[in-house]
Amino acid sequence: MIRFDKVGLRYAENQQEILSDVSFVLQPGSFHFLTGASGAGKTTLLRLLFLSLRPTRGEAYMFGRNVTKLTLAQRAEMRQRIGIVFQDFLLLDHLTTWENVALPLRVRGGKPAVSSHDVTELLKWVGLSDKMMAYPSVLSGGEKQRAAIARAVVGRPEVLLADEPTGNVDPQMGRRLLRLFIELNRLGTSIVIATHDYQLMSQFPAFPRLQLENGRLHMYERADADLVR
Amino acid sequence: MPTSSAKPSLPAVVAEAPLAPPHTGFGDTPIVLPGSVTGRSLTLVVAIMCFLVCLVAGVVYMVRQSADAWVRDIDSEVTVQVQPVGDAAAMDRAVAEVTAYLREQTGVTRVTPMPRDELNALVKPWLGQVANLSALPMPQLIAIEVDRDNPPDFALLGQALSAKFAEASLDDHRRWRRQIRAMTNSLAVGGLVVIILMTLATGAIIVAAARSAMASNREIIEVLHFVGAEEKFIVRQFEWHFLKLGVKAGVVGASCAALIFFVAPHIADFLGGGAATEAEVRRIVGSGSLDLPGYAILVVMVGVIAMLCQLTSRFGVRRILEAQNK
Repeated sequence: MIRFDKVGLRYAENQQEILSDVSFVLQPGSFHFLTGASGAGKTTLLRLLFLSLRPTRGEAYMFGRNVTKLTLAQRAEMRQRIGIVFQDFLLLDHLTTWENVALPLRVRGGKPAVSSHDVTELLKWVGLSDKMMAYPSVLSGGEKQRAAIARAVVGRPEVLLADEPTGNVDPQMGRRLLRLFIELNRLGTSIVIATHDYQLMSQFPAFPRLQLENGRLHMYERADADLVR
Repeated sequence: MPTSSAKPSLPAVVAEAPLAPPHTGFGDTPIVLPGSVTGRSLTLVVAIMCFLVCLVAGVVYMVRQSADAWVRDIDSEVTVQVQPVGDAAAMDRAVAEVTAYLREQTGVTRVTPMPRDELNALVKPWLGQVANLSALPMPQLIAIEVDRDNPPDFALLGQALSAKFAEASLDDHRRWRRQIRAMTNSLAVGGLVVIILMTLATGAIIVAAARSAMASNREIIEVLHFVGAEEKFIVRQFEWHFLKLGVKAGVVGASCAALIFFVAPHIADFLGGGAATEAEVRRIVGSGSLDLPGYAILVVMVGVIAMLCQLTSRFGVRRILEAQNK
């Protein structure tokens, strides 16, 4: 589904590479944690996976296509198959929580497989039933995060990428959100969760872990293998 | 907030059972807010542009209409000139013979020799006060009205007339007609050039406004990209606002122009020009107001301005998106 082969990325010609020789394969229905120290390149790797950056070298294939040669239309079509949760949420301030969550369905037009009723149900499930008509400006950090997660999963993505998705929520809500991700994964969605939450990872030790160190990627078969806390 | 430890059932989004069909939309709030795209000053600029375009189009239309009326009048009347021959009696005889000949020709409905007094009045401004003007050898004019539906062949008629009467010649006003046509065509081309220039200027303003709207909505565009919006969806969010702006500004501009054309016939009078000035204006631009097809041109101009706003904004936004993808 996703294959990176010796991918390198630098932001400017004369700068050092942020990512070097990153190679990995994500199979359909896989679940990975992505860890690394601050500045190790986790967000950059997620942005590569989300097609908002292009590799400066190496080859990257997603859904059978070379991502360095995508047109705008192909990129949009591919992004509809990917859900992403950013650390800074990126909710639109003039839309209600409900409208923000429904945005991926709205931009697709036609007759989406998910109904507006399902948006409501999803919002209830992430604990935002009383904030559906609220604007992001009045939501707390945790509420914004849950709205961003709901927006990422509402379109039933084939790949879900999340950058510290449990960073702003209490442990109970963190587990609840993880359960949502695991259910999506059980239905075939590939999940990559970038996190510093070792406690969370230790609760799901069977999932493999991708670790970024100085721009290089190492893969561990278990989340709790060789964890340096 | 459901934070109890009891496991609630999962939402349908992650359920394996088929989902219910959609029954309502996904929100009506504009994704790109109108205020962030089209401000009042932009609307005012486009309205002024539309006003000027309508004004130019209306004036060109009126002058053309007026010129058509002139040409129609010219086409329906020709003149025969009889050169002076002998004394006054001989001249009167010659005019009578030419008049009689002309009345027999097909396509000629009326032949009227111009009275000598009128002829004298015509040349008086050039000659000034002359003691015995009638004694001067002056050509005589004969006005011929022709059947508009079945006009004579002027070339043949002129040849036949000159062959029969050496002193008579036919003037079918072709030179006049050519001059009027040349004048109106020049005016139409000039008007068209002005309209094209103003259209280009409006297009450039819209492209600049689209660029600025894209910059001020950068975050929204980023989010739209993240949620998988296609280029045409993003473009539509902007061009819809520009189309509305074009219609609104176009209607305002065209209405102002229509008002000008409506009151124009009374302006000369209002400014104290009086009947003479009004007559001069009427000679150039006809009645000075538009007829129904003229007002229809203003409506078309509203459509042109609205489409221009939509298409140039589409082009501008698309160019920026493509540049961002490189």
